[in-house]
Amino acid sequence: MAGTDRRHSIKVDENTCIGCVACMKACPVKAVRVRNRKAKIDYERCIDCGECLRVCAYNAVIPITTLPSDLKRFKYRVAIPSPVLYSQFGQQVLPNEILAALKDVGFDHVHDEALVCEMTTLAIEEYLNENKSLRPVISSTCPVVVRLIQRLFPALCQLIVPIEPPRETAAKKLRKEISAEFEIPPGDIGIFNVTSCSAKMVSISSPETRAQSSLDGAISIHEIYNAIMTRLKKTQAPSMLRTQGDMSGIGLGWAVSGGEIEGLQNLYKVAVSGVSDTIRILEDVESGKLKNIDYLECLICPGGCVGGPLAVENRFIAASNIVRSIRLFGNNRRVDAAFVRRLYDEQLFSFEWAVKPRPFPALAKEKRESVRRLKIKERMIKRLPGIDCGLCGAPDCKTLAEDIARGQARLKDCVILLNRL
Amino acid sequence: MIKSLLKEIGIDHNILRRVAVAAYEAEMNVVMYAEKGVIRCTLTAVEIRLRVDDVGPGIPDIELALQPGYSTATAEMREMGFGAGMGLPNIKRNADMLNITSCMGKGTVLEIIINLNGGNGGH
Repeated sequence: MAGTDRRHSIKVDENTCIGCVACMKACPVKAVRVRNRKAKIDYERCIDCGECLRVCAYNAVIPITTLPSDLKRFKYRVAIPSPVLYSQFGQQVLPNEILAALKDVGFDHVHDEALVCEMTTLAIEEYLNENKSLRPVISSTCPVVVRLIQRLFPALCQLIVPIEPPRETAAKKLRKEISAEFEIPPGDIGIFNVTSCSAKMVSISSPETRAQSSLDGAISIHEIYNAIMTRLKKTQAPSMLRTQGDMSGIGLGWAVSGGEIEGLQNLYKVAVSGVSDTIRILEDVESGKLKNIDYLECLICPGGCVGGPLAVENRFIAASNIVRSIRLFGNNRRVDAAFVRRLYDEQLFSFEWAVKPRPFPALAKEKRESVRRLKIKERMIKRLPGIDCGLCGAPDCKTLAEDIARGQARLKDCVILLNRL
Repeated sequence: MIKSLLKEIGIDHNILRRVAVAAYEAEMNVVMYAEKGVIRCTLTAVEIRLRVDDVGPGIPDIELALQPGYSTATAEMREMGFGAGMGLPNIKRNADMLNITSCMGKGTVLEIIINLNGGNGGH
């Protein structure tokens, strides 16, 4: 991935970017500037939320995911599709048919993530019952939320549940099992998450809570959709999974907002989705207002993972498909609590280390200089027109004021002020 | 507002959290009991000072009000999830120094100091 930042999953194609301000406006952490008519991402600030990807009308913002050619490096290839994949092909196609078609695309093994999702629900419940002093505990599932907390709400890092999301746990467990069963060196096994999320790649290439991810890559649903679609018609899937109870209904729910918390019993739990609502509720947590809540599920995409930028199906239809599947398979617990308890004690689910704060850089290293720059910023805000047009190359007047205070822009970058002279 | 300014200046997040909690609790007290009030925040090289001035009924027994669980909240306030008797104790827990002066029928002044270096760490 030459020319891009390995720690990030989004890049701008300068050949196609026309320098409109759409992505810059959409960025919740003000990481985009337009310079010389091209959008530039400040990777120091980017949290990989994918908002820029959604709004770009010129396909100039590109997600970095695993390419088919990357799969060839491995002797034994495994796909772990997110439950979102089951929601992408309408109501008539069942999960087992999708798994069979996915395998046909070029994998030696496909593994349903829903069951591991349900196991993770139980592990979270275990953690919540064991640790009652810190509240609210916040979900670790969404890699963007984890990064958002590190950057914007560093004091809340300690509230993130120290349990790996299902995709990591599934990959960790599978690599061990496959390596033992088929006597393949662990390094020859390639395990890939099939996902609607543009940030999974970052959580794999530079994980925040372990030295190395258990996954080898992330494949975009958008990318692999056609290959699955054409095989769906051909593949005669075994009909074993048709009956109720053969797939975890609780686990399937993880694809939509509220699904992760649905299976938690006897706890006060809240689910939030979307960038602005997530930021709002985390501000409330930071102010100490929500200590009565046990568990907070935050997913950065609207409506949860079905709303991911790499999904194909409309997210409302996808959510409806998931609800239908849950009804089909039932939402009673399928996993034995004592079994999960044992794996929990063996630390199958655990982080290697807690999420570390990585706050955004202050206005200056030294506090006195910060205060000086803050005063410049406030003076600039008063002088700027406040219409947030974005023509200067900063997303709004406040951010231009801050850029001026940091010495990275000038007042005369403001086109409106220049015209008034 | 106080929080975002201090964040930009680069105040340590643990200190920031204590300031935010103290300011929020103080603000809620003003909103619930007083007619009006002003919160002033001063940053020096060594500490953050919050001064909360309100025009209101005053606190009859400050020592009692500082006891965890003691509350004079009305049924209405409790219905909204307030009135656990943790407001002032919470401020005290997060502050390195808390000074309360109150004049019955006139108002209350809260002076809260949180040290930038060291301090009690919020316990």
